[in-house]
Amino acid sequence: MKTRHFFASGRLLAATAALAGAVTLGGAAAVARSQVTVAVVNDFAGWNPYADSTSQMYMIWCQTYGCLGTFDTRSGEYKGLLAERWEIGKDNPNEWTFYLKKGIKRQGDGKELTAEDVVHSLWRNKNDPRSAQKQNTRPVKEAVALDKYTVKFVTSQPTAPLLSFLFDRLIITGKDLYEKHGQDVDRKAPLGYGPYQVKDIVVGQRMVLEKHADWPGIEAGNPDRLIFRRIKEDEARVTGLLNGEVQIALHIPPHLVDRVRGASNIDLKNVPSVEVMFLAMNPNFKPWDNKLVRQAVGYAIDREAIVKAIFRGGADVLHGPIGSGQYGYDPSVAPKYNYDPEKAKALLKQAGYPDGVEIDFYTATNRYVNDRQSSQAIVPMLEAAGFKVKFHTPEYSTHWPIVRKGKRPFYYQGRGSVVDPSAAIAQYFETGATPRIGYSNPELDKILKAERQEFDEAKRKALLLKAFNIIQEDLPAFFLWRIHNYVGMSKTVAFEPMSTERIFGFDIVVK
Amino acid sequence: MTNSALTEEAILARPAAQGSRVPRGLRPWLTPKIVLGGGIVLVLVIMGVLAPAISPFDPNRQNLLGAMQAPQWLAGAHFLGTDHVGRDILSRIFYGARISLVIAITVVVISGIVGVGLGAISGYFAGKIDFAIQKLVEVVWAFPPLLLAIAIMAFFGQGLGILIFALVIQRWIPYCRVARGQALSLRSRDFVHAARSLGARNARIVMKHILPNLMQAATVIGTFAMATAIIAEASLSFLGLGVPPSIPTWGGMLADGRAYISTSWWLALFPGLCIFFTVLGINLLGDGMRDIFDPRLKRSGQGMG
Amino acid sequence: MFTYITRRVTGTIPVIILISLLVFMLVQSAPGDPADLLLSDEATEQDVAEARARWGLDQPVWVQYWKFFTAAIQGDLGTSFRYADPVLSMILDRLPATIELSAFSILIAVVFGVPLGVWAGARPNSWADNFGSLFGFFGISMPNFWFGIMLILLLSGVLNLLPSSGRDTYGIASDPITGFYLLDSILHRNWKALWDGLAHIIMPAIALGTNMMGILMRVTRSSVLEVMHEDYITTARAKGVNERNVLWRHAVRNAMIPIITVVGLELGTLLSGSIIVETVFSWPGSGQLLISAITARDYPLITGTVLTYTMIFVVINLVIDVLYAVIDPRIRFDK
Repeated sequence: MKTRHFFASGRLLAATAALAGAVTLGGAAAVARSQVTVAVVNDFAGWNPYADSTSQMYMIWCQTYGCLGTFDTRSGEYKGLLAERWEIGKDNPNEWTFYLKKGIKRQGDGKELTAEDVVHSLWRNKNDPRSAQKQNTRPVKEAVALDKYTVKFVTSQPTAPLLSFLFDRLIITGKDLYEKHGQDVDRKAPLGYGPYQVKDIVVGQRMVLEKHADWPGIEAGNPDRLIFRRIKEDEARVTGLLNGEVQIALHIPPHLVDRVRGASNIDLKNVPSVEVMFLAMNPNFKPWDNKLVRQAVGYAIDREAIVKAIFRGGADVLHGPIGSGQYGYDPSVAPKYNYDPEKAKALLKQAGYPDGVEIDFYTATNRYVNDRQSSQAIVPMLEAAGFKVKFHTPEYSTHWPIVRKGKRPFYYQGRGSVVDPSAAIAQYFETGATPRIGYSNPELDKILKAERQEFDEAKRKALLLKAFNIIQEDLPAFFLWRIHNYVGMSKTVAFEPMSTERIFGFDIVVK
Repeated sequence: MTNSALTEEAILARPAAQGSRVPRGLRPWLTPKIVLGGGIVLVLVIMGVLAPAISPFDPNRQNLLGAMQAPQWLAGAHFLGTDHVGRDILSRIFYGARISLVIAITVVVISGIVGVGLGAISGYFAGKIDFAIQKLVEVVWAFPPLLLAIAIMAFFGQGLGILIFALVIQRWIPYCRVARGQALSLRSRDFVHAARSLGARNARIVMKHILPNLMQAATVIGTFAMATAIIAEASLSFLGLGVPPSIPTWGGMLADGRAYISTSWWLALFPGLCIFFTVLGINLLGDGMRDIFDPRLKRSGQGMG
Repeated sequence: MFTYITRRVTGTIPVIILISLLVFMLVQSAPGDPADLLLSDEATEQDVAEARARWGLDQPVWVQYWKFFTAAIQGDLGTSFRYADPVLSMILDRLPATIELSAFSILIAVVFGVPLGVWAGARPNSWADNFGSLFGFFGISMPNFWFGIMLILLLSGVLNLLPSSGRDTYGIASDPITGFYLLDSILHRNWKALWDGLAHIIMPAIALGTNMMGILMRVTRSSVLEVMHEDYITTARAKGVNERNVLWRHAVRNAMIPIITVVGLELGTLLSGSIIVETVFSWPGSGQLLISAITARDYPLITGTVLTYTMIFVVINLVIDVLYAVIDPRIRFDK
């Protein structure tokens, strides 16, 4: 029996009670004066600025290490950041010359940015074993430093939309630091040429940036410290915003918009996203090999109703691969697929399926705003047209490799960062580009190739329009909508969000 | 332990036993826990079985124009309101009861068969078979509950079958342990020897003499396993690893409704309450049965989340 | 005693090896190629092949396992595909957050569960017992993620009392010493950080601890009930010791053994519960690490994290077994 007494339970209880007494409810601690916390959604891979390929991380690396320029969706123009100006070779459209801003000093040691650093950055983008960004430099064959501030990029074939590949995406890092530290450079010397310096990174949690006051164009009103904090849960993100834990919150889902709008201390901005959502129909599978079946899908779905009910009006119906504000959009093109369930039924019958046809429909969950919900709403509409739908909502990491191998016949998908649609259209519809949809049309291929090599804007837009028309007629993918990006921000900051979801410290003013 | 638990049972049973017109055999069963727990479970079973008859709507019928309607109680068509695609929540709750029950019962039955079977074999034959089975038990049991289920669902995708497999994979073990213990003690008893000497086959001996002795323990383990299975299904759905959305489950409803919790609370509240009360009912029932059957079974079914 | 412990420890080793094999095979058999997920949208076939070679995925599974196994026994769990950091150090970075949360949950469970159980057990069938039992069943039956969401909604959303998620507010903490945020704050005498840490931990800890609280309440109740009928209690009463002293000094003290046992047994449930609660509250622990590893098909990180969880669980079980043997010598000769 003696052994049973070894625990002095009374004392233990007293101690725990005392500790619990110290736990009194208290609110979040006050935020330092010039500090702005931004709530973001995506996970990130750590210190290596080439290891992620998400717009969130391009945005962060672009203002820390630096990038040549950015596309400003507010003015609709490319804007130089590290580059002052650029030009295309008059005799050779494969040569692009970028003139760097002079006197850009590196954080910490004050070393000046040179053309050699840009050349090194291209090399690292293409050769870093962890690089997930090689696709951004694929059109570029080589880069040559012409003098200290001038660098020439040579493309393998004329590429009119080259800036959409390089700007915002090619991260510029210091050559000498890499030579000194090798692959450990990002951790040992995270010093860049941008307006903010990386202070701390906790994977999956937050990144802390501090203002580099010497940077040209940075002002006293810009936040001294910029924290990107990952809060994946929508409710938690919005609650954090309302309680003042974060000052800017991205990706506020439509159904929480009213909650944010009702708060007196918060401004809510609504920007159409540049991510286009579509239903991919792989013609290598039955019944999608039949154009009429694909078109039946186009007529079967009441997109207005879904936008109204699921997105609470926070989405724009697309009448083609792109919408207003995206390069090459022509508002005069008449909508082709208006909701018409009878026509959908008739098309299905005409295609040889009078008794309907069984299909499998895949939507990965937790990927896009209201992905599961909007797809759920699509299912009965397809069924009304005669499809017998088996609806699957796999986890994204199970789903995506199958899509990439071209083995998913019918799925809901988004393509982000479509400012200039050239790369995205080629990626999904050009023969041999990726097997994701498995669509092949020599006529389209020819147009896409010509479009990329066309430097005359009007002619290029006309070619793009031709390509869009083919896609709309053949319908290997039915473009559904663009979801608005709601950005909530505390009234203590002034900031005009962009549709590319880029949040730069130099765009934020602390009131 | 026996002594005090009997007292506990006596104390708990007293108020019920005083009610006089109840048949004698039923009296020990009328403890508050069993009555309350059994009542809840009975309501659940009725809801599940009669779902097609009592549901006011098709659980999958959508009405986008009538989405997100607040509970109308008796004033309108949608007693508990509608969800984000305009489906009737009450109907989905009824059908959800059915699916939850089917999942929970299937899991428990399969776990029971596998666990009792392996346990009986393990204990009855002893030796190498016992060693192998016990190593398997040790390895599978070494995973924190739910961890293995999360991995299986994440890797092998959605589906009722995979879900049931993921839930069974650890739940057979408590059965196996009890069955093995019983079999070990039984195999030395006289009547087993007698049966064997009379030429009965091993399988027959196991079936006839060992299994009946396990029924009480298995029932108690089963009720707790049911409770944890329902919570586990909801947890997996919460992580986005549940069954396909065309099957109405409470966990799935909760996972869908979670997004709307601050604006349309009824989407998540009602399925959440249903899960809570179901688990509560099953736990009460199990606890009550355990008090009656065998106090030594305490804690045997706990610890699965 | 020593031989018993040695026997139990050596008996655990083959189990751990089998577990590592099982985890490795499970992860390998998962459909979906990590290269397809981790490389960019537009990676070429050649990029994929390069990555697979770098990660060793181009080799037969047995070779991969052998490499993993030989490295693991030297304390190297490999390098994460996604984060390119050593898996072991990543886990060790995250583990304190999980342990801190779990410890705080146990604290809450004990502080509320045990007194309630004593209270209920001392007065069987009174309103106190009924209320206590209801509370206990409430705790056992509450799905922790749902409870967590409800807490966020109420305490952060409606009442604005507590921060909705995360572990700390940036800029308050002193330099980490142990990695345990609350402990570090105390060591640094940084009371502001301690306060901040407590404000962050309390909701997730309640959500996680409620279940154990319910179980503790039930177990305490029945242990107290049991002890109250033992001879020495009757003797103590006969000697005129007042009822309060009988209860707290004699009865509760002896009820501690089953209570400690249950805390040990329930640690596994707590561990897996923390995976979900960490997701709800964006708590930067190893549970979140596991979920992001699964989502990214980061094989070494999944294997490492699952194995760590399992090892912790195995060690806890081992410690409980050994403790039992210390307490009750008969066990050593069983089996």
